[in-house]
Amino acid sequence: MNRARTTVLTVAGTLLLLAAMEGVGRLGVLGESWPPLTQVVAALDDPITRDLLGRALAATATAAGTGFVAGTLVALVVAVVGALLPPLQPGLDRLAAVVNAVPLIALGPLLITTVGREGTPAVIAALAAGFAVFVAATSGLGAAGAAHRDVFRALGSSRRATLLRLQLPAAVPLLIDGLALAAPAAVLGAVVGEWFGAPRGLGVLLVSSMQNFQTDLMWAAALSAAVISLTAYAALAGLRVAAARRFV
Amino acid sequence: MSRSESAVVEGPSAGQHPVGPGDGTAPRADAEDGGKQPRRALLHTLSRTLSRLLSRYWTVLALVAAWAVWVRTRQLNQIVAPTPAAVFGDVLGHPGAYLPDLGWTLLNAAVGLALGLVLGVTGALLVWASPLLSGLMTPMALIMRSVPVVAMIPVIARVVGFGITAVLTVTTVVSFFPVFVMAGSGLRAAPAATRDVFTVLAATRLTRLRLLLLPHAVPAVLVGLRLTASTAVLSAMLAEYLLGTHGLGLLFARSVTFMDPARAWGTALVATVVSVLCFVGARAAERLGSARFS
Repeated sequence: MNRARTTVLTVAGTLLLLAAMEGVGRLGVLGESWPPLTQVVAALDDPITRDLLGRALAATATAAGTGFVAGTLVALVVAVVGALLPPLQPGLDRLAAVVNAVPLIALGPLLITTVGREGTPAVIAALAAGFAVFVAATSGLGAAGAAHRDVFRALGSSRRATLLRLQLPAAVPLLIDGLALAAPAAVLGAVVGEWFGAPRGLGVLLVSSMQNFQTDLMWAAALSAAVISLTAYAALAGLRVAAARRFV
Repeated sequence: MSRSESAVVEGPSAGQHPVGPGDGTAPRADAEDGGKQPRRALLHTLSRTLSRLLSRYWTVLALVAAWAVWVRTRQLNQIVAPTPAAVFGDVLGHPGAYLPDLGWTLLNAAVGLALGLVLGVTGALLVWASPLLSGLMTPMALIMRSVPVVAMIPVIARVVGFGITAVLTVTTVVSFFPVFVMAGSGLRAAPAATRDVFTVLAATRLTRLRLLLLPHAVPAVLVGLRLTASTAVLSAMLAEYLLGTHGLGLLFARSVTFMDPARAWGTALVATVVSVLCFVGARAAERLGSARFS
């Protein structure tokens, strides 16, 4: 009963949001630059636009996906090293915080000289996703209960066995939380990375259509970026519900 | 990511270096001074603080060392990558070149944070007051959580106009969401027993909000602020860079255009330090707040 009500309200909220976007565009409340949603969708009828958007979407999704996987792997390795060698832990935490605090605009030119224009979006996506995963993984590895830890210690378990049999399983729910946050971060990283002169991608399309007053194209690119990260987030959030059932 | 790996490998050797001079000066300082005891105690605390700082920040030192070694061994041109010494020298030597733009960026971030705070708490209160609204807001909250707001800077600029309005809109939207979510969960965090007391005493909804729920929401809102403080600074810079409004972002864009790499990297350094400081400050505020309100 309560659940049905929530579903109905969520659907109503979604429809209301779409209607508001359409209405604002129709009535011209925010001027020319906010077109009705239907007009943006209609712009996709043109095969050239569709092709352009499709290629940009593929480039951004590839960069974000590569960055997400690479960033997650590196973050996991670093977090596990920190768990196995506790003296390193505070230094690694600070490193992650500082790397995360380096402004993206500063990384752009640096990465262009080191990894080139093509690789920059993926590397920025990896850094952005890696930070979210690292924070989640470190707090997840520390999430096992004190009583369980005592049992392992009393039974003379090695540090590696404790990690494998206690800490890693206990970390799974928080880790998936971190992955769900890392996915939008990776998309953001890829789009921002493309602002520094990548050959193609949604970020390139966003900036060039902004400068050329191609409002429909700009909105189509923005909505595509939103749809990618929403889909990735929703998929991982669903995974979290499944994992919570298994690992609690 | 290769940077973090190299830092792990090079860390200990690079990290131990600064301890040497600190320890070496200890006996000399003692010999010069008559009042040995307090001086020694001071030195002891100093070296303890130093080693604590070192155990936390050796990776950062290693990062700077790796940067210096990288520039040296690859024989990179100063235009491609300046040495750490050149960058630190530029920041310390010409603070006047950075301060006005730093002020703009901090202003953009602070105004955005304040607006985001007000809107976020208001939104959370509205949702608390009406379950209907709470259901209707769920999809919007989901979208705000997962859509990369900063990537929407071109769209935001097109809609609200280029210039400082767009920058403030970006920082406000970035700050709004964490505050909204945390305030919402804070309003629901009051313990059941205390809530029962209010029910028994027939407290009105408003009294309950003022005396019970808002004090419980404060620590949660401060957590939200900690999450956004440095993000607000960084997104302000990104917006300034893209839109060309006053601030560190514009200073960076100009330095790149006019081939002044030391200034460009210096801007990045200043921005990094400021955003770390914002985070540290917000964390201190969070600790104070949760000590006071719970």
